[in-house]
Amino acid sequence: MKKLLSGSAWTAVIVAGLLLFVLSCGDKKDARFLKVGLPEEPKTFNIWLASDANSKKILDLIYQPLYLRDPETLDLIPWLASGEPQYDPATISCTVRLKPAKWSDGSDLTSADVAFTASLIKEFRVPRYYSAWKFIKKIETPDNRTVRFYLEEPKAIFLTRTLTSSIVSKKEWADISQGARTQQKPLKALINHKVEKPMGCGPFVLEKWGRGTYIHLQKNRYFFGLHQEIGGRVLGPYVNDLLFKVYGTADVAVLALKKGDIDLFWWGIQPGYIDNLKQDRNIKIFYGKKSALYFLGFNLRTLPFSDVNLRKAVAVLVDKEFIISRILQEYGTRMDSIIPSGNRYWFCPDVSRYGDGIDRNQRIKEAYHILQTAGYTWEVPPVDEGGRVVPGKGIRMPDGQPMKKITILTPPADYDPHRAMSGMMIQEWLKVLGITAASRPMAFGALLEQVKGRHEFDAFILGYGRLSMDPDYLRNFFHSANDKERGWNMSGYNNPEFDRIAEKSASEMNPELRQKLIHEMQKIIMADVPYLPIYNPALLEAVRTDTFSGWVETLDGIGNIWSYCLVRQNDATSP
Amino acid sequence: MEVRKFVLKRFVEIFIIFFVILTVLFLLFRLAPGDPVTRMVDPTLTPEDSQHLIAQLGLDQPMGLQYLYYIKNFLTGNFGNSFHYGETVSSIIWSRLPNTIILFTTSILLSAFVGVFLGKIASWKKGTKTDTWMTLGALVCHTLFLPWLAMLMIWIFGFKIGWFPLNGMISPEIWMDPSSGVWLKILDVLHHMVLPLATLFSIHFGSYLLLMRSSMLDTLKEDYILTARAKGLEEKTIRNKHAAPNAALPVVTSVGISLAFSLSGGALTETVFSWPGIGRELVFAVSNSDYPLAQASFLLIATVVLISNLVVDVLYAYLDPRITY
Repeated sequence: MKKLLSGSAWTAVIVAGLLLFVLSCGDKKDARFLKVGLPEEPKTFNIWLASDANSKKILDLIYQPLYLRDPETLDLIPWLASGEPQYDPATISCTVRLKPAKWSDGSDLTSADVAFTASLIKEFRVPRYYSAWKFIKKIETPDNRTVRFYLEEPKAIFLTRTLTSSIVSKKEWADISQGARTQQKPLKALINHKVEKPMGCGPFVLEKWGRGTYIHLQKNRYFFGLHQEIGGRVLGPYVNDLLFKVYGTADVAVLALKKGDIDLFWWGIQPGYIDNLKQDRNIKIFYGKKSALYFLGFNLRTLPFSDVNLRKAVAVLVDKEFIISRILQEYGTRMDSIIPSGNRYWFCPDVSRYGDGIDRNQRIKEAYHILQTAGYTWEVPPVDEGGRVVPGKGIRMPDGQPMKKITILTPPADYDPHRAMSGMMIQEWLKVLGITAASRPMAFGALLEQVKGRHEFDAFILGYGRLSMDPDYLRNFFHSANDKERGWNMSGYNNPEFDRIAEKSASEMNPELRQKLIHEMQKIIMADVPYLPIYNPALLEAVRTDTFSGWVETLDGIGNIWSYCLVRQNDATSP
Repeated sequence: MEVRKFVLKRFVEIFIIFFVILTVLFLLFRLAPGDPVTRMVDPTLTPEDSQHLIAQLGLDQPMGLQYLYYIKNFLTGNFGNSFHYGETVSSIIWSRLPNTIILFTTSILLSAFVGVFLGKIASWKKGTKTDTWMTLGALVCHTLFLPWLAMLMIWIFGFKIGWFPLNGMISPEIWMDPSSGVWLKILDVLHHMVLPLATLFSIHFGSYLLLMRSSMLDTLKEDYILTARAKGLEEKTIRNKHAAPNAALPVVTSVGISLAFSLSGGALTETVFSWPGIGRELVFAVSNSDYPLAQASFLLIATVVLISNLVVDVLYAYLDPRITY
């Protein structure tokens, strides 16, 4: 009995302690902090290693580029630079003047830092950065605030990718790179360097990283944009502290948002949550566009998809509106070109729009017509003599051989239900045409290995969630030189005319002339259909409105540096 | 056979099994389709960049050579650096392991303790309403879908009633406050532990209850229980001193193995509760082909499982005098 009493007493003490604790911190909310939920913890703050989205999100608030895109016009505007870049075609050089700026330790940011960044990227061949810097022949720094880049040849991506790369501090990285240089594998040593306190010049600095639990960023008092007008906006930051917490599932993140534990979940929210969130008057939902591409890719190296007529027939048959309304629940837009329509400057509206505005039967009839004209035959044609649509059977290629079974590779439903479901729908539509098809969801790594590594596939559905604003990826995706193992021309597209225009566009420094070339490239691609763009999912983001306001909408959502520089506490009157 | 000889023999076996596991792990990751670089869906990563990165990571070497480096590094205690974190694998594991042990080991010990206690009562009261309800309750809890139960717990106690935090292991606001003392921080962790612990406990205690009940029912049929009754011993003494210790033997094995596997955490629990343990890291490492991190994590689990097996075997001999080596 004594034992029992003693046990009960201990239990009571523990329970009472916890309850007291609950009561004491039940409503403990510190309004100074802007609290942001992330779906995963960032992996690293080493800018040269960071490849995951969450590390990049944090690093983008710390390290800054020379030029940045205006959130409204999407034009490049001077950020660390003080004015427009001065390009000299005669010497193939470009001069950039820097704003007066300091690193987060108070030391001056100078042209030497820009030159150092370039030399480090080139020397170590840092992946993801190297392709945007390798053509820089020489950099001159006539004074502390002037940088002159000499290019080996004109390169369009110099303006859009090189000048938008983050600049690092020579002071921070000189010793690290020196140490890495002496190693047997210098790049490995560089990317494996543990960065505890990244030194940037952006609006925030890393105050503390509680591994696995939180990330605390503080306002950088040396931020060059502080109280300055850039892009027509007087920048802050107007919040002193950012607190990032991890929410492993969207369900819990949504509850945290409703409860007030976080002010923003920095990740797209699934349409299924929207009705529930709309009921909360303190939550606002932003409906944004993404710079994304979700597409059906064909293998042009072998039959049957080496035949453009079959690809066109499939393009007509795929009902994008159905996929958007039924699978994406209307939260997405139809795509008809490789470049998303949100990327207004480069998007070409005058491309072939397959199957636009026609119903299911008309699609089948049109697809049948394309194939019949190209010499395909059927045991039972999908359109009978009376013009009625019937289930087709036994399709034969123009050479009389039966068409082999087609496999459509997709990521598994737990990775992306939209793509897995789209694959199943396309499989069914192909069957109506008499084509034996099977959608095969497979592990993402295995899918990429098969499509990008070994090129053993018929068709696949993949997507790029964050395409660069520069359209040079068109060249990467479809230039014949990239049809190789690990190359981005996964379809094996080979068109000398396209290659010629792509090469011309890559070296065209005049944006208007380049725009014409990029439009031309889009038209060629949509005529040959190596990829069939299907949809661009809407970006749904939710924020609390009772604590902070001033979020800035742009392509790819409200989670951008402009928002973090302009958001302010609702009752705050001054920064 | 003497216990010493038995242990020595088992150590040799463990050593051989360990090297088999070491080799299988190496092959398993390398033979799986895809590599860490292929998974990077970034059009700015050129094929040349990919090749350069692969060479720097040492993945361009012939597999035999990679294996030799792997064994050499292992023997020198170097598990390498994670491909994604850049840090040494051991530092990542050691930063996550204590969090996993705090939650999962506690949950197993707690559920085993309660399960054994209730299983003992259920078997003693076989056929009564108490037995029926306990067995039914244990079956229901044991078959619950963990993420569903976890979400339900969060929704009711974290969101609706608001007694406990929705997720995480600490409140950053408390830990960032310099005035927060150690006890406040400990209470904060305990406060965050309640929901995941309750979820894990609910799922696990049922299996121990059922195991103990079934083992106890077998034990109660033994002759020595009849003898004890014939000697006129009290029912409570027969139950607690004669039946329960013998019936607990299968539970000891089960708890031993579960404790060892608890080091691997639970990816589902850790994901739903955003608990910074090793389970999520393990899943991340496997799905992103982070070979060094995945290999080291699995090796750690394998080592602990092998050793705990040995401990359980030795413990058996100690608990049951009928067993000799």
